[in-house]
Amino acid sequence: MKVEHVSNSFFLCDPSFTFIEVVYHSALQGAAPSNHYVRRKHVDFRLPPFLEEQTKATAAMAKLIWFCLKCILLCSTIEAVFEDQVGKFDWRQQYIGKVRFSHFDTHVQSSKKVLLATENNVFASINTRTGELFWRHVDMTGPEGNIDALLQHGQDAVLVVGDGRQLRSWDINIGGLNWEIVLDSGSFQSACLVGYQDTVKHVAVLKKTVISLHYLSNGHQKWIENLPESETVDFQAVYSGGNGEVYVLGVVPHSHIAIVAYSLDDGEIIKQVILTPWLSNIQASCVVIGQGMLTCVDSAAVSLYTLDLHVQSQMTQIPLQVPTTMKPKAFYFIKLPDVSSSLVWTGLNLTQWSSFLKKDDSVGYRAMVQTEDHTLTFIQQPGRVMWTREEALSDVVTMEMVDLPLTGTQAELEGEFGKKADGLLSMLLKRLSSQLILLQAWIAHLWKLFYDARKPRSLVKNDVTIENLSRDEFNLQKMMVMVTASGKLFGIDSKTGTILWRHYLDNIPSNAAFKLMVQRTTAHFPHPPQCTLLIKDKDTGLATLHVFNPIFGKKSHVTPPALLQPMLQSLMLPIMDQEYAKVLLLVDDQYKVSAFPSTKNVLQQLQEMASSIFFYLVDSNQGKLSGYRLRTDLSTELIWEIVMPTEVQRIVSVKGKRPNEHVHSQGRVMGDRSVLYKYLNPNLLAVVTESTDLHPERSFIGILLIDGVTGRIIHEAVQRKTRGPVHVVHSENWVVYEYWSTKSRRNEFSVIELYEGMELYNSTVFSSLDRPHAPQVLQQSYIFPSSISTMEATLTEKGITSRHLLIGLPSGGILSLPKMFLDPRRPEIMSEQSREENLIPYAPELLIRSEWFINYNQTVSRVRGIYTAPSGLESTCLVVAYGLDIYQTRVYPSKQFDVLKDDYDYMLISSVLFALFFATMISKRLAEVKLLNRAWR
Amino acid sequence: MHLEIKETLQNHKNAALVAAAWCFIDIETGPGAGVTLSTQANGDRFKIEGRAIVPGVKTQDWVSEARILVEGEEYVGFVRTDGSFAVNDVPSGSYVVEVVTPTYRFEPVRVDITSKGKMRARLVNYIKTSEVIRQAYPLQMRANGPHTYFMKRETWGWTDFLMNPMVMMMVLPLLIIVLLPKVVNTNDPEMRKEMEQSMNMLNPNPELPDVSELMTKLFSGSKGSSKAGSSSKGTRPAVKRR
Repeated sequence: MKVEHVSNSFFLCDPSFTFIEVVYHSALQGAAPSNHYVRRKHVDFRLPPFLEEQTKATAAMAKLIWFCLKCILLCSTIEAVFEDQVGKFDWRQQYIGKVRFSHFDTHVQSSKKVLLATENNVFASINTRTGELFWRHVDMTGPEGNIDALLQHGQDAVLVVGDGRQLRSWDINIGGLNWEIVLDSGSFQSACLVGYQDTVKHVAVLKKTVISLHYLSNGHQKWIENLPESETVDFQAVYSGGNGEVYVLGVVPHSHIAIVAYSLDDGEIIKQVILTPWLSNIQASCVVIGQGMLTCVDSAAVSLYTLDLHVQSQMTQIPLQVPTTMKPKAFYFIKLPDVSSSLVWTGLNLTQWSSFLKKDDSVGYRAMVQTEDHTLTFIQQPGRVMWTREEALSDVVTMEMVDLPLTGTQAELEGEFGKKADGLLSMLLKRLSSQLILLQAWIAHLWKLFYDARKPRSLVKNDVTIENLSRDEFNLQKMMVMVTASGKLFGIDSKTGTILWRHYLDNIPSNAAFKLMVQRTTAHFPHPPQCTLLIKDKDTGLATLHVFNPIFGKKSHVTPPALLQPMLQSLMLPIMDQEYAKVLLLVDDQYKVSAFPSTKNVLQQLQEMASSIFFYLVDSNQGKLSGYRLRTDLSTELIWEIVMPTEVQRIVSVKGKRPNEHVHSQGRVMGDRSVLYKYLNPNLLAVVTESTDLHPERSFIGILLIDGVTGRIIHEAVQRKTRGPVHVVHSENWVVYEYWSTKSRRNEFSVIELYEGMELYNSTVFSSLDRPHAPQVLQQSYIFPSSISTMEATLTEKGITSRHLLIGLPSGGILSLPKMFLDPRRPEIMSEQSREENLIPYAPELLIRSEWFINYNQTVSRVRGIYTAPSGLESTCLVVAYGLDIYQTRVYPSKQFDVLKDDYDYMLISSVLFALFFATMISKRLAEVKLLNRAWR
Repeated sequence: MHLEIKETLQNHKNAALVAAAWCFIDIETGPGAGVTLSTQANGDRFKIEGRAIVPGVKTQDWVSEARILVEGEEYVGFVRTDGSFAVNDVPSGSYVVEVVTPTYRFEPVRVDITSKGKMRARLVNYIKTSEVIRQAYPLQMRANGPHTYFMKRETWGWTDFLMNPMVMMMVLPLLIIVLLPKVVNTNDPEMRKEMEQSMNMLNPNPELPDVSELMTKLFSGSKGSSKAGSSSKGTRPAVKRR
């Protein structure tokens, strides 16, 4: 008997990258434990005959009760947050990204603001005391929203956006837009504020060929001038000294600097040329300091050049005495003789620096430093770190949730079973002692609860540290392991959002693809949990492995194999070595397979199972989807191949099912009490294609359901006059996908459900190789009134809880849409049977109700991914949404049916109990009196 | 393709068309040098303008977290401190424009821009996509209240308890059993006959829904009469009799 498995391995949404997904097919003889084992049970919904009579008699009442229950059920599927739950188990962290420009707000002495413009096209204001955001504006992604320059004057901040396309002025106090104008096209070079007699009223914008001057109050253009000789001279900088003149500095590399001065009023030109044969780039090596003093550094001659822009004589050279061994991370202060400011030279990425006079006239300083790992640190006077922001978390690539380890005492108890028995009595004693320890711990816990309860709530602080980390009763608190694009790994406590460990990986290629795998969970006690991160250069295909402990972030002592060949794919098998680490198979471009860990035991297991391990590779460039089988010598053989003509369509995504998903019910009970069995093929892949022709009339998207083991196409559907981006969720026996309809200009959802029919072919086990009947396919489509950013389905431990779709919207909301609304069996006309089945009548438009937003007003900007993980409670699913922000919460798709709710009314229950108790007492007394009276009568 | 055709057209009779496009694009463009450049770049790029209003709330309290989203996140605009907004560089087409804030709810509006830059705003109707119900342009987006993200907690009250269907189901039959014999004169032969008839209807009838209907009818019918003595004390005589 054969069972196939689909390992849902990673999948990179980059067309230039070869997509690979893996299926393996293993022959499990009998009782091998597995996540994917699909157990079939015959369910009889008919009552025995002797009960039928009775049933009829009570049916009328039952019907009524049933109807009421249905009402309750229907209502209960509508999930929402209660107001008193805000912040109870959810948290949000807002980020801005890697800083490009920053500016301390200095116009008010006591201002606590620092303005930041980042490479993620975010403009934000941060509190310098705490590092929290005052406000933040998230612009378009891509070059249109790119911030080119940031200037500040008073309470206005002027931004040049989109390669000099737009000029915006923001009010930094309230974070609102003052004005916004569109500039003429032309590549942006530089911008500066222009002052005259101590008042700044204009801003100058320098482009490749023109310079324009705008009023600071409303953005209107005062004048625009073409630059002279702009074909030969590369104008790079603009400067104004406050004397009514605007200086534009251009350079002809290795020849001379051209200085063009414009008068503020009418833009008249004064021109000057100064020979500077050593200079090639003004922006990189020059700065204007003090009163119009242009200072340039010549690194070849190790000297400074200064030039007074107002006088415009020759450049004066100042030789420098710089230590020859310039360490990259060191400060160099140079005091210039005739300029009253100092230059700071640093190997660190110093984003903002400001010095100020303190009350006692001593010079204070504050600095904001951004390091390579995108950490923003704010330092004040005596070298005190005020705050740090981990801006790397604005770009989370992938994440996993790992169970926390048991507490020491629990682990002690657990360890008891691992050891060899050394006698009945000693075992008993050990058991008693460990239970004593547990009792002690419990009493201590109770005492703490009692003690904390007396203190006001705000004072009770549960500081989470890596030491006191332990699994809670229902496994609701987990470790979030997050991988960011910068190559920094984070371990975050899911309950509070505290960063518990961080690890920066050096020399990560800029275009790296990451895949995080949990090789060993915390369940195998003496062995530490183990995660493996595969880092792959997308260009060369060369990969490295980083093995670490997900709880402490430490690098594991296990040395991963060196991968010399470009990697095509990696896949996790459910087979384990003696140390309970799951085996990772790595497929290189020669289609050779290597295993990690590759102990003898593992290789032996692999050889035994090789004939039933299948995987597939996707090559989107050639539109090829091919299935392979593993040979006993760890080479591979091609089994099937599907080619999509690349001139017509291209493969955009391939989705398998999640390997840790459980399906509880094998079928659906119909209105007539028969069962419609689900087609639960664990090897099913959903392949989405988009047409290469993007004309709205001819474009289409296609969806193929393919069995990953045999390559059999189970179903194929094409949606005409539609285009991507397509978001797909594939789970249980359904596939939900969302696309853009070019014909009706709206977003549409489509759902495909697969059923085996009224009978199961083989009820004990599923095999792709032995399924003669094609499944019944049902499909329905709906209109969705918003575009979406990402989509994921909830996941629970046993799969009993109904499923919801979590949809990230561009507005920042995370919508929890019951799967019930995306059911292809929704009837257009309600019949008695469909009513019995609780089907909702078909309506073309899906509604967005604001109660369904699981993150209420805690919007998540640019949500890129949603991660769901089951908890120890069947009703509860942990959700992490990441994008620019990170938001963590819990959802209860069928409400909290297995724990008492927050609003459980203890008072009511106890008062009712007491009332009943007293009522019985009183009535007993009354009855006694009455009996006595009757006896007398 | 459409764009190409249009552009060539524009080149041929540039004077008129450029002038038409002009008023939509840049009100504050500089004189002289920039003109030719700007028209080429802005030839098929337009500006969506409007104003967002939250009645009863000062603009500075909500503008910092407001955004204008055009067709998802394809084009983004920001709200000025006076509540007005503009989304620049939008090519011709049909777009859904929404004002997005975490606190207030705005209705989206569909804006159609012709290739010549003519604007039209209409109600969003995803089902009948071609239906036109004109809205004001420049857009006037008025918030229709704050978002209701939260469900109300169920509070416990006596009326809830009594109106609960389960309780109704338990209490009403009890009342009927107790009160019916009192209200209906069982000695009346006509009444007895009627009762027997209804009992006969109840028992052998296989069609169950009808029975339930009958029950409900009975309940609703007897409600008026039972209400008279429907206090909890009313049950006591029944107990006495047993």
